[in-house]
Amino acid sequence: MRRVAPTLNPNFIKVMFDKETLKKFEWPIFIAVLILSFIGVMTIYSATRSLTGEGQQSFYLKQVFWLFIGLLCFVPLISFDYRWFIRSAYVLFVISVILLIAVIIAGRIGMGAQRWMSIGPFSFQPSEIFKICFVLAISKYLADSEHKDILGLKELFQMMFAFVALPLILILKQPDLGTGLMLLFIFCSVILTVGARKKLIVVTIIIAIVSLPFLGNIVWSGLKDYQKQRLVAFIDPKADPQGTSYHINQSKITIGSGKIFGKGYLKGTQGPLRFLPERHTDFIFSAFAEEWGFAGSVFLFLLYLFIILRGFDTAKKARDPEGRYLALGITYMISFYFIINVGMTLGVVPVVGVPLPFMIYGGTALLSNFIAIGILINVRMRRFLLFY
Amino acid sequence: MLWDRAPDADNYAGRKRAIVLKTIVFFCFSVVFFKLFYLMVIQHKGLSEKAEQQYSRAVTLMPQRGTIYDRSMRELAVNIETNSLYAVPVKMENINDVSSRLSPVVKVSANILSSRLADGKGRKSSFMWIARKMDEDMSRGAEKVKDKLKNTVGVVTETKRYYPKGQLAAHILGYTDIDNKGLEGIERRYDKHMKGQVKKVQLGRDAHGLNLANNTEEGIPGNSLLLTIDEGLQHIVERELAGAVETWHAEGAVGIMMDPMTGEIFALANMPTYDLNVPADADVSERRNRAITDSYEPGSTFKVISASGVIEEGLVTPESKFDCSKGYINVGGGKPIRDVHKNGVLTFKECVQKSSNVCLIQAGTILGEKKFYEYVKGFGFGDKTGIDLIGEVGGLLKSPGAWSGRTLATMSIGQEIGVTPLQILRAYSAIANGGRLMKPYIVSEVISPDRRIIEKSSPKVERQVVSEETAKTMRDILKTVVTEGGTAQRASIKGNAVAGKTGTAQMIDPKTGRYSSSDYVSSFVGFVPADNPRISLIIVVFKPRGASYGGTVAAPVFRNIIEQTLTYLDVPMERDENNITLVSR
Repeated sequence: MRRVAPTLNPNFIKVMFDKETLKKFEWPIFIAVLILSFIGVMTIYSATRSLTGEGQQSFYLKQVFWLFIGLLCFVPLISFDYRWFIRSAYVLFVISVILLIAVIIAGRIGMGAQRWMSIGPFSFQPSEIFKICFVLAISKYLADSEHKDILGLKELFQMMFAFVALPLILILKQPDLGTGLMLLFIFCSVILTVGARKKLIVVTIIIAIVSLPFLGNIVWSGLKDYQKQRLVAFIDPKADPQGTSYHINQSKITIGSGKIFGKGYLKGTQGPLRFLPERHTDFIFSAFAEEWGFAGSVFLFLLYLFIILRGFDTAKKARDPEGRYLALGITYMISFYFIINVGMTLGVVPVVGVPLPFMIYGGTALLSNFIAIGILINVRMRRFLLFY
Repeated sequence: MLWDRAPDADNYAGRKRAIVLKTIVFFCFSVVFFKLFYLMVIQHKGLSEKAEQQYSRAVTLMPQRGTIYDRSMRELAVNIETNSLYAVPVKMENINDVSSRLSPVVKVSANILSSRLADGKGRKSSFMWIARKMDEDMSRGAEKVKDKLKNTVGVVTETKRYYPKGQLAAHILGYTDIDNKGLEGIERRYDKHMKGQVKKVQLGRDAHGLNLANNTEEGIPGNSLLLTIDEGLQHIVERELAGAVETWHAEGAVGIMMDPMTGEIFALANMPTYDLNVPADADVSERRNRAITDSYEPGSTFKVISASGVIEEGLVTPESKFDCSKGYINVGGGKPIRDVHKNGVLTFKECVQKSSNVCLIQAGTILGEKKFYEYVKGFGFGDKTGIDLIGEVGGLLKSPGAWSGRTLATMSIGQEIGVTPLQILRAYSAIANGGRLMKPYIVSEVISPDRRIIEKSSPKVERQVVSEETAKTMRDILKTVVTEGGTAQRASIKGNAVAGKTGTAQMIDPKTGRYSSSDYVSSFVGFVPADNPRISLIIVVFKPRGASYGGTVAAPVFRNIIEQTLTYLDVPMERDENNITLVSR
C-alpha cells in the first residue's frame, strides 16, 4: 500500500513571523531551555571563579554572548517552515561533511583532539554542526522512503553508507568518541522507531553478538590510550585514584558533597579549587549539583524530562513524516546527551566527552543545541497547519 | 503511520516500537536518576568528608618566640626569618636528578639525599625537610633550585633564634633547638613563657596545593623577658675574665656580679664560653655554667661564715686576741694545719685580714659544731639559691652526724665543703646588705606581646642571717683585707673602699683523691662601696698557672671589673685620693 504524502500547498512554505506565529509559539519548551541556559551561565560563573585571588575568568561572558547569538538564530529558525531546511538537508549535510574533512586537515588541536576550526577570532566544532545536518538528512531520507512499509536491507545499507560511515570515521579520527557514539545512538534509535524488518533486527543482533569479541578487539586496539584508561577506570574507579579515575572520583565527591539542599550558589568549592576537572564543560552538572544539592538536581532533571516528553509529543503530533523524524531525532539527541553526560558525572557511564545540552560552556555546542530546539519548536508550531 | 493518528492495524507495530524506545530512554533516565539519589542522599556523608579532606589541611602556625632584653631593653635574643627547604618525595619522578641538583645547594652528598628521598617516596611521604634555617647563600641557591624543581621541592619561611651579641651572656641565655625549643639557660627555664602558642587552623587549598588564604598569620607570640643583666657590665666581666684566663693559662673562670641589696644579677660569665648562634660547635665543657652547676672547695672566702658566727654569737669581738704564733694548729688526728706565714698574736680583725687558718679554726671551735652548721646553712650553703636558671646544684654539705674529728676545723677554713660561686657571692651580699640573705634572680619582668607586664620579680629576703651590727662589723673587717697588710691589696681601687676576701683552695686530684699540689682555685669575692654597697662581685679562677693565691690571680680581675663598673654606673668616689683641687678659672 502506498502512502500518500500530504500534498504540499506552496502557501505553507512561507515566511511566517506575525501575530499568528507568536500566538502559536511554543513557549513551554522555549522557557525551559532558557532557564537551563541561564543556569548554565550561572554555574559557569561559579565554577570558574577563583578562590586563590586570581581574577574571574571570562568564560561566563563568552557564554552570555553565545546565548544571545543563539536567541537571534531562533528568529529565522521558527520563521521559516522546517521543510525549507529539509529541502536543503542533503546540501547542508554535504557542507558539514566537508567541514569535518577540513577539520582533519586544518583543524586546531586542543586537549589532545583535533576538533576545532578557526575562522578569524572564532573557533567552532564542525562535529556539533554536523549532528544537526545529520538529523536533517536522515529525516529527509526516511520521509522520502515513507512509501516503504518497513525498512529493508537495501535502505539500511544506503543510509549507512550515505550518512553514517564517512562522518563516523572522520569524527572518530579527530578523535571524538562521544559524538561518534551519539551519531550511532541517534541513527539506531530512529531506525528502530521507524521500523526495520524483524528478521533484519534479529539477524543484526545475532551478528552483533557473534562478532562482539572480534569487534571488541578491533575497537579496543583502535582506542587511544586515554580512552582505554577511562574504560578501565569506569569499571574499577578505585584502581588508580590519582590517575584516570580521578575524574570520576572527583565528580562523585563533588556531587555527593552537595547533599540534599546544596552548599548554596557561589559556595561550591570543588570546581574553583580545581579538584573537579573540566568543571565548566563536561562536568558542569557536578558543579551545579554541589551548589544546589539533590533538590536542585531534581529540578534540573525535571526540566530536561519536560523537554524530552514535549519532544516525543511533538513527534507524535507532527503534521508530516519530515517533522516527525526531525522531532524524534532531536529528542533522542537531547535525551542521549543528557543521559550520557549526567551518567558520566555520576559514574554510571564511562568518561566520554559528551556535552550537557544548553548548560555546557562552549559557543558551538550552545548554538547547535539552540538550532536543534529551534527546529523542534518549528515542528511543534506547525503541527496543526494541515487542518487550517 | 507510526504514531497513533489513525490506529489501524498497519501502524500498530510502529506504535509498539515507539513505546519500546521511549521506555528505553526513560529507563536510562531513571537509572541515572537513581544513581543521583544514591550519591546525593545516601552517600553524601562519606563524599562530603572526602571533599573536606582534600581541600582543608590542618596547618600549624608557628608563633614568634619572645625576645630577651637586658635591663635597659637591649636585645639579647631575637628572631630572624630564615628559609627552609623541603621536598615532596611522593611527587618525584627522577630522584637521582633531584638529588644531584639539590646536593650542591645543601652541601649534602647526592647519594645520601637520593636514598633519603627514595625512602620518603617509598613511604608516600609528601613532606620531608631537606635543609632547615639555611644561611643566605644556601637560601639563594634553594630559591633557584625550587623554580627548576617545581612541585617537588619548596621553600618555607621559618623564624630562627638569633643572638645578635654572639657569645655575650651565653651561659645565661642558653639556646634553642631547630624547632625553637629552649635547651639551655633562660631559653629553657622560661621556655613556656617565651614559646608562645601554636595555632592550629584548617587552611583551604586547591588541587594544586596552593593555599587559599595568603597566610601571613602566625601563632600567638610568646612573652618577652626583661633580664636583670646589664649588657655593658656583662661585657666588662666577660672581657676581664677572658683576660685572666689568658694571663694565667687557667682552665676556666667564673665571674658573677650582683646587686647585694636586691639579689639582681647584673652579670654572670663563664670562661671558656661559646657562640650561641652555633651551639653545636661548642664543647660540653664550654657550655657548662660553672657559676651554678659546679661546686668547688671555697677555701678562705668561706672563713667569713665562722667569723660572722662568732661575732654574731658575741663570742668574739674584732679586737679579741688570738695566739697564732705557732703557725700551725693540731686538729683531730692527721696533719696539723698551717698558716702561710707565722703571724704571732693577732686581733680577730687581723686574723681575717691575713686569712689566718690557725685563728679561724680556733674561732670555729669556739662556735661549736652545731652552731657552725647552723650558720653554714643560714648563709645558704647546701641549698640551691633558687636562681631562675637551669642546672643549679646546692653544693656538698655533710650534716654534722657525718663529720669526722677534723671536719669542724677544716670547714671553718673552707674545706670539706662544696659550694657554688653564686652561693659564696650571696653570702657576701648578705654581709654587704646588713645580714639579709637574698634570693638571686635574673629575670625581672615577663612582658606580654602587647607590652603589658605579666610577671614582675621583686627582691626576696630569704632570712636574716646575722644582725645589722654583725654585718657592719664584718664589713669593717673585710675592708682591711684590701688595705695595707691584707691579702688582697691588689683589689683596692681609687676613690672607693672595697670589702672582700681572697680564697685559695687546693683542688682535689681526682686520680689520687688527695689535694693536688699544682691545681688551685683562686678566688676573690667582695663588694663596693664597702659602706654603702652597690655591687657585689665574685671572681673564681680555676687552675691558674704560675700563681695560685686569690690575692694575686683573682683580686686584680676584681679590681679591673669594679673600676670599670663604677665608671660605667657613674658611682661617685667617696674620697679624693689624687688630692686634686679643682680651681675654677
